[in-house]
Parts: sequence; structure tokens; C-alpha cells
Amino acid sequence: MVGVALGIAAIAATLAMAAGCVLPERARVVWVGILTAASATAGGVAGIAVLAGSARFTANYPDLLPLGGIRIEFDALSAIFTVAAALVAVPASIYGIGYGLHGPSSRPVQVAYPLLVWSLMMVPAAGNVTGLVVLWELMAISSLILVLAEHQHNPEARTAAQWYAVVTHLSLLAIVVALLILAHGAGGESFAAMRSGAGRLGPGVTSVVFLLALLGFGAKAGVVPVHVWLPRAHPEAPSHVSALMSGAMVKLGIYGVVRVGWDLLGGGPGWWGAVVLIVGLASAMFGILHALLASDLKRLLAYSTTENVGLIFIGIGAAGLFASTGNRPLAAVALAAALLHVINHAAFKGLLFLGAGSIHSATGTRDLDSLGGLARRMPVTAATFAVGALAIAALPPLNGFVSEWLLLQSLVHSLPSKAVAVAVAMPVAVAVVALVGGLVAATFVKAFGTAFLAMPRSVEAEQAHESPRTMQIGLVALAGMCVALALAPTVLAEPLRRATVAVAGLSSGRPIHTNGVYLQLSGIQAGLSPLLLATGLGVMMVVALAVVRRRRVHHTVRDIPAWGCGRTLQTARMEYTATSFAEPLQRVFDDVLHPEIDVDVDHRTESRHYIEAIRYRRQTRDAFEQRLYLPLLGVVRRAGDAARRVQNGSIHRYLTFSLITLIVVLIAAR
Amino acid sequence: MSKTAFVQLLDLAAGLVLVISFAALWLRRLATVARMIAVQGLALAAVAAVIGIYEHESELVGVAVLVGILRAGVLPGLIRRAVRAGDELREVESIINVPASLLAASALTLVSYATTRDVVALSPAPQVRAIPLGIAVVLIGMLMIVTRRKAVLQMMAVLMIDNGIALVMFLGTSGVPLAIELGIASDVLLAVFILQVLTNRIRTKFGGTDLDQLRALRD
Repeated sequence: MVGVALGIAAIAATLAMAAGCVLPERARVVWVGILTAASATAGGVAGIAVLAGSARFTANYPDLLPLGGIRIEFDALSAIFTVAAALVAVPASIYGIGYGLHGPSSRPVQVAYPLLVWSLMMVPAAGNVTGLVVLWELMAISSLILVLAEHQHNPEARTAAQWYAVVTHLSLLAIVVALLILAHGAGGESFAAMRSGAGRLGPGVTSVVFLLALLGFGAKAGVVPVHVWLPRAHPEAPSHVSALMSGAMVKLGIYGVVRVGWDLLGGGPGWWGAVVLIVGLASAMFGILHALLASDLKRLLAYSTTENVGLIFIGIGAAGLFASTGNRPLAAVALAAALLHVINHAAFKGLLFLGAGSIHSATGTRDLDSLGGLARRMPVTAATFAVGALAIAALPPLNGFVSEWLLLQSLVHSLPSKAVAVAVAMPVAVAVVALVGGLVAATFVKAFGTAFLAMPRSVEAEQAHESPRTMQIGLVALAGMCVALALAPTVLAEPLRRATVAVAGLSSGRPIHTNGVYLQLSGIQAGLSPLLLATGLGVMMVVALAVVRRRRVHHTVRDIPAWGCGRTLQTARMEYTATSFAEPLQRVFDDVLHPEIDVDVDHRTESRHYIEAIRYRRQTRDAFEQRLYLPLLGVVRRAGDAARRVQNGSIHRYLTFSLITLIVVLIAAR
Repeated sequence: MSKTAFVQLLDLAAGLVLVISFAALWLRRLATVARMIAVQGLALAAVAAVIGIYEHESELVGVAVLVGILRAGVLPGLIRRAVRAGDELREVESIINVPASLLAASALTLVSYATTRDVVALSPAPQVRAIPLGIAVVLIGMLMIVTRRKAVLQMMAVLMIDNGIALVMFLGTSGVPLAIELGIASDVLLAVFILQVLTNRIRTKFGGTDLDQLRALRD
């Protein structure tokens, strides 16, 4: 069953690539969308089957590639990530039909897209080093092509692609080195051999493997300080690709850390968890602060991805810490929270990126400061974006709430702990998660408010129109997914148990008990029933509406214009913009972010007391880029310039080099 | 042929190949250097012939005849044509002057003797004892490429390197199949043809074959 579904996924993806290659432009976009959606559906079915209790699927194709061939090991942990990828990929592919008909429909893009979707689903299924590296590279290259999709209109895309290509290749290097050390020490390159042989490595070597894997996979996950490519590449890709990159691709970095650190290596000392926890805390804070100040909608969403990956890392790091102090049940809860957030974030971030794509294709801009008033013009986009914003802000009847609640529960309930590290780290972690939660709410109030409410701030926003039907289907499907995941997390209790059990270094029995309605955490006096909560909220809203109605019926209502404080009209220039909305918070975090602010005042020529125009420009530079990466690039460039002195173009000098080399080789090899 | 005569003749011929390399570095007139390369080819053919006659291998004698025709006749002829086509008669100023290049060549000969001691120790045969000569010719050929400015001289240096390689081949393997020597010969012929054409192009474009002027073509 699982094998058949994975086979269908591969065949459908191949057909989609062929369709992208041969068909004419319009048919190409349609067929690629349909076939890719079919491929993702099949992949999702395979994942769900494993999560629902099918035996894990293994297959071996030793002749497919030189070196070790390709092994497939599809267990419950893989299935979580494959399902998360499929969850975004199906709606994104349908959305891509409408999006591609008015946007990127070139052959390379339409061929790379199915390849990206398929490799996203298959990377977690790889069961040996060769398979993982090959699929990982397919994913990296196809996504790189897609980041470059709009390079002809948009020179920014080229810079973004450069950053992305460099970071992704360096990260692959770290991953390959880590896995090769591990495979060499364990005496085999299949995951099964590595798992059983990891004990033969010394503790020092194990830690080196872990740190290299954390560096490599962390770069893909977009955590601080190796996040620099993410806020550049995600905004420049076509929106359904951004949704895939944010919803599914960065998650594979998380998958890699969990798989290598706590499955193949079987867990390690407590500081592994502490490092992951600190990285997570830093990423969450850093990501949300930048998202708060961003006024480019997709850049905002990209930084918010760094923040959410940070939250997931917090869960994994906490799980590692708990496991090393012997509190296995709590570790399982924290890991379950992280894995649930992987799925939830895939749903709502995919939704938000698709929404941003609809806005972009309707108005031609991503700048929040020139949007506004779209709720009336694009009702479906507005409603679905609102669902996504509520979900990402972790507000109760939606799915973000469930996973963040689980995460906080696991952090809070660790507190009566004897281990010093846990007793110090957890209150800090709780405080950071709480602060981040508040800032996320502010960020998405800003995003939704300035984009959809009030009056349009530009002609483009005024002339916006709702996007085509296929795009709406994608949006509604993902919004429905957010709601479904929110109301029925009890269904996920058993799959999450299977996934946590697959992680040998963290697992214990059953993190979440459920009776169908109520979630009960194991080892903790905490429970939650999202369904009852949602029903309660619904009842409260109905009651509130009824009360208002009653008052209206009993009192006579007169409509009169409000006093305008002497103003006679209201224009869009009087509204809050995204920049001005974030200004108070920018002041609070001024010392952390150091935004560059330019205020230009033009006076009238007649008198200095009359002002013609004021321009306010705020730019937040990425501190890591400024302090870490640009100096590093400077060093590389200087080294390159120094090397140019060796290469001065004289043929005689080059020939001398070869003569000297020959002599040196003769003497050395004697 | 007696053993003593064989050793004497072999050492004479192989030594001649090396001495001519020095002479080619010492001389300035392009036409004379070309003649030196031809003599070197002849000496090389003599090495092959001596080995062939001593070991009664008629095929190697055939190879010697082929080598003589090619390296003492055809290739130097092509070079002479290239020299005559240009109006440059002498190397005006090389990168390092003649005494310095002769000193460097001696040093390279020392290097080749020092580095091939293990090879020589493998066998007491007189052929093997002469292998360092071949290596030294290769190195001196490279030195000539590096230190001379005229493209025509560099063509000759390439031939010298090839002569050195061929010398090592005859000495080290005692008998090369005709087929392999034919292949090598056609390779060298082709290379010299290409070099001649390129030299002509450089001359027509830039009015001379001083390779240092090509530096401006960088970037």
C-alpha cells in the first residue's frame, strides 16, 4: 500500500515533468498543476498510511546509483514530514495553475516545480547517505531554479539566488561530512547500519558529527545565524513555491537534526539539547523582531518562518534536555509539540504565502505601505488570510494554538526539576515563547490590518480584483486544513506517538492520551479539548451577537455622522501604515535592531517655515549579515585579489609554475 | 656488436642528446638552434638504432629509421620554414641571460640525476643508467620554454621535451612497438603543425612572436 502510493507519486511527478517539457504554454501550466497535485496526494496517502499504523516501508535499489545505491526507509517520523510537504503541495499545485497562467509559466519553472514537490516528499524517506544526499541536492537545485523564476523582471531574484546557492551548497558540505564521518565510524552507510553502529564512535566524534549536522541542516531550516538566505530567497520565489519552501523545505532541516541527532546517533549529552534550545530561542526572537518591522509582506512571512522554526527548535532542544535528565515522558511531549507544529506551520504558513501571492498578482506589489482596503475587493483572499493570521498568532480555535499550547505545557511542567540547566533554561524559554507570541500577534495585526482593512493607499490596491478560481481553491483548502487540524488534534495523538517512538533518543510511551475529544498529556496534569473550546467560543459569539441584536431591537437606532474633529474628509494618507504601526515597537527594540532611519524635509523656496514634503524611510539591516557575513565575504574577496597577483597573464610565469611543479613533484615523489 | 662497444656507443649517443640541449640554450641564432634540434633528433635515432642492433630487434631499427626521418628531417624542416617566414633571426633578449640559463640547466641535470637514483638502482643495464639524461633533457626543454620570448623558440623547446620523453622511452623499455612510435610521431607532427599555424597568426596579428606582449590580452 505504502510502496504503491510512493510509486504512484514518483510516476505522477515524472509525468508532470514531461508535461512541463513538451506541452504548449497554457496546457503545460494546467497539466503540471494537476499531475503535481496527484503526485503530492499519493505521497500524502503513503504518509498517512504509515502514520495510521501500516508497517514502515523499506526498499533497496542498490543498482540505481554508484556508491551505495538508494535505500528507502519510510517510517512514522519520515511520514510526518512527507505529510507536511503533501499538505502544502496539493493546494499549492492547484493554486499554481491560476498563478502560472498569469505569471511564471516557462519550461524550466514548470519542470522544476514537480521535481521540487517530489523531492520534498522523498527526502525524509531516504534510508542511506547516498539517497539522502542525492534527493537533498535535487530539492536544492530545483528550488534554486524556482527562486530564479522571475529573474528577468526582478534583479533582486539574482542576488537572492546567489545567497541561496552559496548557503545551500556549504550546508550540503557540512551534512555530507557529518554523515560520512558517521558512516565510516559505524561501518555502513545505510541508516540501519549507522543506527546500530553509532555506539562505536567516541563521544568527541559523535559531538562533532552532531554539530556539523546541526550546522548543515540548520542552514536549510533557516535558523540564526545561518538564516541569511531565507528572507532573501523566499520573497523572490513565485508565491506557491515560497509556500512550499516555507511550509515544507525548511522543515526538512528540522527533520535532519532530529534524524541524525536523536535517531541515528541515539541522542547525546544534555548540551546538545541546550545548543538546539538556544538556537531556537535566538531564532524565534530574531525572526519575529524583523518580521515586526518588515513592510514587504513576503519578507515579513519569511522572517516569521525563521521565528516558527525557532519555536520548533525550542521544542526539540527542550526534548533533548529532558531526555538527558531522564524525564523521558516530558521529552516525548516536547517532541510531539515540535512535530505537531511542523504540520501546523506547514498549513498556516502555506496559506499565508498563497494569500500574499494573490495580493501580489492582484496589485503587483508586496509593499504593505501601498496596500489597503483589499477586504472588500478580494473577499476570499481576505477571509482565508485572516484564518492564517489567527492561526499563526496561536489564537484559540485554530491550529497554531494547539501546538504552542503543547510546547508551553512541556516547558512549564519541567520546572520542578533537579537539573540546574533545565531549571535555568526553562523559565527563560517560557518567557521568550510568551514574548514571541505577543509580537506575532502584533505583526499579523499589522499585516492583515494594513493590507485588507481601511482605504487603499495606492491606485493598484484600489483596482485590485479577486484572483482566479483555482487560486481561491488552494487558499480555501489550506484554510480548511487549519481549521480541521485545530478541531481534531485528537486524531493526531496516535500518529504523533508513532512518530516520537521512531526517534530512539527521545521516545517513551505515549505523549498524548485522548478519548476522542479531550487531549491529556502523559506525566503532566494538563489537558485540553480543542473541540469543546471551539464550541465554547462559538456559543459565546452567538450569545454576544444575540445580546447586541436584542439591544438593537429594544432601542431605536439612529444613524448620524460622527463628529470629525473638524476634519471634513478622511483620506488614505491619514491611516496607519505598516511602518507607522510598528513604530512604537520599533522604539522599544531600538537597541537590538538599530534600524536606519532617514527623514528628509523639503522646505518651500519662499519660506523655511513652510514644509513642502517629508520623506521618512526606515530600513532594518540584518545584524548577522552586516557583522558576520559581509566581513567574511570581504576576507574572501581580498584573498581572491591577492591570488590575482599570481595570475598576471604572463605566459612565461604560468609555464614557470608548471616547471617548478614538475621539479617539486620529482623531488617529493622520489 | 660487443658489450663494450654497445655501452660506449649508447653513452655517446645519449650524452649527445643532452649536450645538444645545452647548445640549444647557448646559441642565439634561431636557424642554428633549429639545426641543433635536428642533430638531437639524429642522436635520438642513433640511440634507438644502437639498442636495436645490439639486441637484434629489427623492429626497433625500423623505429630508429622512422625517428630519424621525422625528428631530424620533417619536424626541423617545418621549424626552419617558420623561422624563414619571420624576419626575426635571433632571440634578442631572453628572460634570463645565457650564462644564467646554462647554470640553471646544470642544476636541472643534477636534479634529474638526484631524483632518478632509485630508478637507476633497479637494474644494472647501461640503458637504465642513462635514463637521467632523458629526464634532464625534458627539464631543460621546459626551462627553454620558460625563459625564451620568441614563439618559434618555444616550438623548438616543445620538440626538445618530446625528444627527452622519447629518449626515456627507448632507454626504459628497451624496444617500443612500431605502432606506438607511429602514434606518438603523428601526435608530435600534428602539434608542430598547430604551433606553426598559431605562430603565423600571432605574427600577422601582432607583428612579432614575442609572447610577453600577449600579456595585454588578459581579462
